[in-house]
Amino acid sequence: MSSRDPEDRLMMPDEPFEELKRVLDTRVRSEAPTPDCLQDDVIAAFAEGSLAPDLRATVLPHIATCVRCRGAVASVARALADPAVARELVVSPTDRRWYRIAVPLAAAAVLLLLLASPGADRSPGHRGPPPPPSSTTPVPRSPLGLVAAVRDLRWSPVAGADRYRVTVFDATGGVVYAAEAPDTVIALPDSVTLVPGTAYLWKVDARTGFDRWATSELTEFRVAEPRRR
Amino acid sequence: MDDWVAELQRDRFDAAWDLFLDRYRRLIFAAIRHYAQDYDDVMDVFARACEALRADDLRRLRSWVEQPEHRARFSTWLVTVVRHLTVDWFRHRDGRRRLSVVAEGLPPLRRRIFELVFLDRRSHIEAYELIHAGEAPTLTFREFLSELRATYHAVSTGRRGQVLRDLAPASEAVEDLPADPAGPSATGVAEQSRLLERALAMLTPDDRLIVELYVLEELPAETVAKVLGLANAKAVYNRSYRALSLVREQLERAGVRREDL
Ligand SMILES: [Zn+2]
Repeated sequence: MSSRDPEDRLMMPDEPFEELKRVLDTRVRSEAPTPDCLQDDVIAAFAEGSLAPDLRATVLPHIATCVRCRGAVASVARALADPAVARELVVSPTDRRWYRIAVPLAAAAVLLLLLASPGADRSPGHRGPPPPPSSTTPVPRSPLGLVAAVRDLRWSPVAGADRYRVTVFDATGGVVYAAEAPDTVIALPDSVTLVPGTAYLWKVDARTGFDRWATSELTEFRVAEPRRR
Repeated sequence: MDDWVAELQRDRFDAAWDLFLDRYRRLIFAAIRHYAQDYDDVMDVFARACEALRADDLRRLRSWVEQPEHRARFSTWLVTVVRHLTVDWFRHRDGRRRLSVVAEGLPPLRRRIFELVFLDRRSHIEAYELIHAGEAPTLTFREFLSELRATYHAVSTGRRGQVLRDLAPASEAVEDLPADPAGPSATGVAEQSRLLERALAMLTPDDRLIVELYVLEELPAETVAKVLGLANAKAVYNRSYRALSLVREQLERAGVRREDL
């Protein structure tokens, strides 16, 4: 049942372990929860790799031997690596520690997210397929997250693209700025006023053929509020 | 503070729910679709997930919000909860019925294995015992294992492959094995498994986890590195290689030869 990316196998040249793996796979199976089994938030933190080192050390012996918890961690880690899921994690404002930085995002902006990249939902990807190469879709480079000021917008180039279209939205989904550019940078005109502390989203489309556009992920940024004296 | 959290804290559950769903509908869908690609499955699981998240005045969401400290990001926690709900749905009535169509294209023996292992969640040894005692009295354990592997392969490449991976009963320590489950061939495998568990137990917890996640769960090396806080994929290759060499050494010391594996 295994067919993996050959790159995954760099250090296993002569496959001496295939048979071993077969036997490991036929261990007796059943799963009953134990009192030590992990809570969902610990499973989640483990899977995303954010568990604090001391807690990680505490739960490691359990997770190494408990098939139920290990299976859940592996399953969630696999889901998080699925590009279709990863994309939603990236655009979700709570993907940052939402209890610290709570950025309101109105329903209209969510609608925009729903409309973004309609064809990408049918990803066949399980078992950690590589993310789509960045050269086929533009990637916003700046601004990202909290920035001091926005003078221009920059993104990565797309092979074969002859034109880029940039759109900046406010948190209600309204278009604040839209323009086209032949290159991977565009200056933000002075006429566009960004309110400090407010969340904005932006995306860039690359034209790769007649009426064919490759769309970046929606990316959020905020301009820092000036410090009080 | 997030708008849906604010509403939740004011006990305005309907408003909180609407805002929550506006924001996370896409993530919930993406998570469900990761496990189940069939359109009808996805829609049914989505309805079930919403029902479960909304139950008892959003009890699950409230319990998250009320925690004094959060270990994971909310969206990861949500994916975890949706994963459990999805797997549960497939384990129970409607999902189980939906899954039984997967078996339709399989030859009779594999179909029976599929039903026993994935639908009835029998252990592999139990499945063998039942088939051996019933329709295939001459089937050896070794033959059964090869049919078992073929069954796994056939179903994991289909549209419901990802969820079936989660539905396959998970392995566990062999101590609970009956001494002589089904004749000499199964006993041989049971004995091997016991030795293997013992060898794995000699690894440090993190080395063991690397072996389990990378070699057995087949997570990509990059993902294993991230989960375990290792520098990079190469560290995962090297450590799993070293750990497996240790396991092999232990087995050889216990008299298991390579041909026996
Ligand atoms: Zn456990």
